[in-house]
Amino acid sequence: MHAMEILDPVGTASTTRRALAPRPASLRDTVIGVLDNSKPNARALLEGVARALAERLGARDVRVWRKPGASIGAGVAVLDEIAAHCGAVLTASAD
Amino acid sequence: MEGRGIATVVLGTHEFRPLALAEAKAKGLPDLGIVTVPHPIGGIAEALVARKALTAVDDVLAALTRGPAAGDGAGGTDGAATRHRAPEDLLEFQSFMMERGWGDGLPLIPATAERVAAMLTGTRRPPGDLVAVLPPRLGRATVLQVAVNAVLAGALPEHLPVILAAVEAVGQPAFNLQAVQTTTHPCSPLIIVNGPIAARLGINGGGNALGQGHRANAVIGRALRLVLQNTGGARPGREDRATQGHPGKYSYCVAENEAASPWEPLSVDRGFPRATGTVTVCASEAPHNINDHGSATAEGILTTVAGTAATVGSNNIYLGGEPLVMLGPEHAATVAGDGWSKADFKRALWERARVPLSRFDPSNLDRFAVIHPAGFKDRPPETLVPIAREWSDIMVVVAGGAGKHSVLIPTFGATRSVTQRIEQ
Repeated sequence: MHAMEILDPVGTASTTRRALAPRPASLRDTVIGVLDNSKPNARALLEGVARALAERLGARDVRVWRKPGASIGAGVAVLDEIAAHCGAVLTASAD
Repeated sequence: MEGRGIATVVLGTHEFRPLALAEAKAKGLPDLGIVTVPHPIGGIAEALVARKALTAVDDVLAALTRGPAAGDGAGGTDGAATRHRAPEDLLEFQSFMMERGWGDGLPLIPATAERVAAMLTGTRRPPGDLVAVLPPRLGRATVLQVAVNAVLAGALPEHLPVILAAVEAVGQPAFNLQAVQTTTHPCSPLIIVNGPIAARLGINGGGNALGQGHRANAVIGRALRLVLQNTGGARPGREDRATQGHPGKYSYCVAENEAASPWEPLSVDRGFPRATGTVTVCASEAPHNINDHGSATAEGILTTVAGTAATVGSNNIYLGGEPLVMLGPEHAATVAGDGWSKADFKRALWERARVPLSRFDPSNLDRFAVIHPAGFKDRPPETLVPIAREWSDIMVVVAGGAGKHSVLIPTFGATRSVTQRIEQ
């Protein structure tokens, strides 16, 4: 093969690897949060999983927040509120 | 949420797993818990959703309890472009590029160091200048990176300033590029060029303005697409989740036909002098014909445009955004001939182009009511829903040649068009 040199069309990305949060030792008596991305049936799926988990792990409650639209990020205040109340969070991506 | 110290799991369907992984990676969380269930979730009975939910519980539990990998803090840095050895044979070169996901299917010009250097003579900006950070990959679109893709697209150095302005424009927060790049909706950034630069570069705004046959339109639009796909990382069928997409995703660039317009051009509406070259980008669907060979009055043209624009299955009607009406010069002349300004036309269209609530299927209204309460929440069935939130959200430009056609170009909705000066 006769080769030529070409420049890469992709380039670098602005990502910095971050650590995940520590996993909770137990979810007993905590609140499991649900952040609904407002796609059709997302809430049904998320809540279905959250309620089953809550029952299995002895969580106190499931609380649902909703993004204003699937293509719009949740506000900082909402995320802070969820963090203040919940032991773990389930959310959804895309359809 | 992980950044706030809360263990989080993302649920989705198998179809969208590549997108969720790419977004987690771009946010620096490649180990984020992602659990998927069989597609689809939307548009199926809730009982079926509940069954799918139960199949996910074990995986969600595992993701919530599995210990996280330690973050290594490594990040990307700007530098000279990486080089690759590629086959010199042009046909083999096309296969080489497609195998790596770097092409759009049409033949590419090899981006050799010499060609990229020649491309860079089209701008005064230094190669390392950051033009935009492009989601979903958060790719760093430097002047150099844009130039590489411009060469691939077949652009000439004089096209580069327009391409750079378009990349900068789509990178503005108002454009919501993350959603535009990854949505299932069929949209692509339409580049509308205003100012004398359009004629100087041969960007067509006359007959067949949105069609083939003009190099500047073809390569400028294509260069933006390749930047979005390669540097932005929206690869078709992976992070780019378009259900069908549309042909404008190959290239979508047009000039406003300022000479044939009875009104001020779009760039002047946006506060720029007429002599300033600008691009306006809007996340646009494919053009849809508005045929009116009979009307000789503004009212008549309005009736036809409104009748074409007021539809149920449109993103703009519930998400908002800026539907675009591209009037052919003959339709525009008819409207202006009755003494209507562009704003008069927009206001009248907003009043007329409305869809009765009774025409929507009730199963969609719950979601629409959350997104757009004023239009859909607890409203009687005879409520008329306009095609945009405000009359001024409707965009009107004049383009095309002789003939009694205009086109409607609906937009993605959760996005605003952005106008950017072209820096020579």
